[in-house]
Amino acid sequence: MISYLDRYARGATVCHRWPASLKLLLAFAVTLTSVLLPHQAWPAQGVLACFVFAGHSLAGIPFDYLLRRLLAFAPLVMMMSLALPLSQGFAAGWEVMLSILCRSGVAFLAGLWLINVMPFDQLLFTLHRFGMPKLLVAMLAFMYRYVFVLWDEYDRMQTARSARDFGGGSAALRWRIRSQLIGMLLIRAMSRAERVHGAMCARGWDGTVRVFEIPPESVTRNGNHRTI
Amino acid sequence: MIEMSQLSFRYPGGRAALKDVNLKIEAGEVVGLVGPSGAGKSTLLLHLNGLLPLNLAADADSGVSIGGIPIRKDQLTAIRREVGLLFQDPDDQLFCPIVQDDVAFGPLNLNLPPGEVRQRVTDALAAVDLANYGLRQTAQLSVGERKRVCLAGVLACRPSVLALDEPFSNLDPRARRKLIAILQNFAGTQVIATHDLDLVLELCQRVIVLDDGRVRADGPTRAILSDRELMEQHGLEVPYRRASGRDG
Repeated sequence: MISYLDRYARGATVCHRWPASLKLLLAFAVTLTSVLLPHQAWPAQGVLACFVFAGHSLAGIPFDYLLRRLLAFAPLVMMMSLALPLSQGFAAGWEVMLSILCRSGVAFLAGLWLINVMPFDQLLFTLHRFGMPKLLVAMLAFMYRYVFVLWDEYDRMQTARSARDFGGGSAALRWRIRSQLIGMLLIRAMSRAERVHGAMCARGWDGTVRVFEIPPESVTRNGNHRTI
Repeated sequence: MIEMSQLSFRYPGGRAALKDVNLKIEAGEVVGLVGPSGAGKSTLLLHLNGLLPLNLAADADSGVSIGGIPIRKDQLTAIRREVGLLFQDPDDQLFCPIVQDDVAFGPLNLNLPPGEVRQRVTDALAAVDLANYGLRQTAQLSVGERKRVCLAGVLACRPSVLALDEPFSNLDPRARRKLIAILQNFAGTQVIATHDLDLVLELCQRVIVLDDGRVRADGPTRAILSDRELMEQHGLEVPYRRASGRDG
């Protein structure tokens, strides 16, 4: 799971060598342009998409990696964008729906490129330098830290379930068990959140976010640091 | 010095976890806290750091004092400066994605200047033999390394008391030995809640047996741990090294 989100973030391509602020600005500019373009500007959206794909190629991110993540992302956006034609009895709204799909696709790929051309801690540091509030930076850091822990927990629960399901049961039963697992995961996540809060308080947390101001550019290729 | 006077605690809607606990632990003592699961060991440790009782009123006394400072809401900062708490599950304690950020968390909350924070991070990581791990991702560490980073995070606050909750659980023998060596080098007071009685024999001069929220025995390690009847009465066993006469 650890490499699922940003598997190529510590690469050595030309994109990885660019300054962090340039990468952040590029991704932001592409997303903003895509969002601000009028509905009818399909060729411009296509150009932006080509630009993003070129960025992925330059960064050495394989196509099947992108495709798998796009497939995971697409149903969610599809459901949201389908709401528009649905609200108009499927008589209109298709163009806007396609436009939403296109814009969100470009934005998603730009974001994916960004997290794969620099380590997440460097991204957070750069966002902080660009003025993102400390609280938001801390929340993103927590999310990045605990998504792996929760995923591992879900994996262990899945394994425990597999060890006792003997391959039987109907599809309905499997779905019921899966939803129970997710419910259990939520309860465990809440109790973990309480313990994490306790651990933070034990080291003097008073609700004020303080950031350790050491630029992560000092990371060497293997992830170790030269100096603190 | 740690003092507990008639400390009782009941979790909201739950059973009583601690009942009339009276304890005195002198500065520099290394004390093992043993007992069956659910005896109240972790609850007792949480009281040392002021994490329990919950919603403590500003002027209410919890019945615990550290170095003469009573644990009250208005004294929590001073108490947490003195007591470093190591949690059982390192994933509860390592909440930052990068090692150095996590180790720096405590010193930053102490409002130390950046140079001092940097120095403490360097010293703490060196103390746990992880000097080159500053920019590693916490999620990529082994359990043993995570435990040591947790300990570095605690040591970076330079506490006078270490309260350790099952510090040796899930560690392989090598990681266990490393952690023992680190604890042996710590000069302050230590309260170690553990099921690892061989280790208690090695590290602690004094043992407290806790069962069903009450202190059942308190005395020198060798005397307590070799009392077979007492140990079995409280769901424990005479440690292998004591039983086989290998503890010297």
